[in-house]
Amino acid sequence: MAGIKTIIGLSFILAIGFLLVILSAALFKNYLTLLVVATYVIAPLPNWICGRAANPDDFMESSGSGVVDFGRFLTGFFVVMGIALPTLLWHANSIDGGAAAMSIFGGLLIYGTIISFTLFFQEDQEF
Amino acid sequence: MSAHRLFRFPKPAWINSANARTAGVYTAGALFSLGFYLLIDVAAWSKSAMNPSDPPVHVTFVDWIPGICSALGMLVINSIDKSRLSADSFSYSGNGVAWKARLVLFLGFALLAGGLAGSVVVLVLKYIVSDYTWPTIWMGVGNVIANGMVMLSSAVLWVAQNMEDEYTYNLAL
Repeated sequence: MAGIKTIIGLSFILAIGFLLVILSAALFKNYLTLLVVATYVIAPLPNWICGRAANPDDFMESSGSGVVDFGRFLTGFFVVMGIALPTLLWHANSIDGGAAAMSIFGGLLIYGTIISFTLFFQEDQEF
Repeated sequence: MSAHRLFRFPKPAWINSANARTAGVYTAGALFSLGFYLLIDVAAWSKSAMNPSDPPVHVTFVDWIPGICSALGMLVINSIDKSRLSADSFSYSGNGVAWKARLVLFLGFALLAGGLAGSVVVLVLKYIVSDYTWPTIWMGVGNVIANGMVMLSSAVLWVAQNMEDEYTYNLAL
């Protein structure tokens, strides 16, 4: 059961994630790494939207699962994009290696928080 | 069913589970993303200060054509409903649906293979034949890897969708 401690811990991790990403942008005076936050914030959206669009109850109709699969495909795309984008910018010498590492780590923390929140929230809804 | 088995080892049970299918679709998306961002990386690196080539060698539209072909092929392949491939074996779905599906699928596979082959052609003709050294050749090598990733992603997605069909089939019976 998701108690108050879980919520406090998750918000703490979220704050650390944002701190890392913002530091990676501000320390090096290069604000391209803020793109990572946008990436991880929109990463779970396709799953939610396509989950609403499809009817999970009919097994005979294959059109519904196609939409759900497309949402999952897009989610996988965005998650790897959050790692690939800083690496790409570092490789093209747009940002420093340290900024890239900090933004990747911070972005993963943010995304992990979002996913954990969804998990706990869904568990609450089922009961 | 087990009497018709061809191979000595049975197919592991987890292959047909819904979780394996979901993981396959996520993996396909991740692989496609890797390929796509490798292409973007090659283009960004080409215009950045890291590109040491002198006289300057840059990515042109020629380098993009294989990637576009691969992505189109993947789109075509995965737009086809896989159950239509065997549609002609049922008497009620005539009009050559399976024939059309196979034709479109063939086009898709041709685009995909053409993309991979085209990237190798670009690597050889534009970078290796001209005797460029390593950091410049990365623009060709990255292109080949990117197209391979898109192909791999397409294969994973194909397998995952076929898994889903068998899973649904087992459930329906």
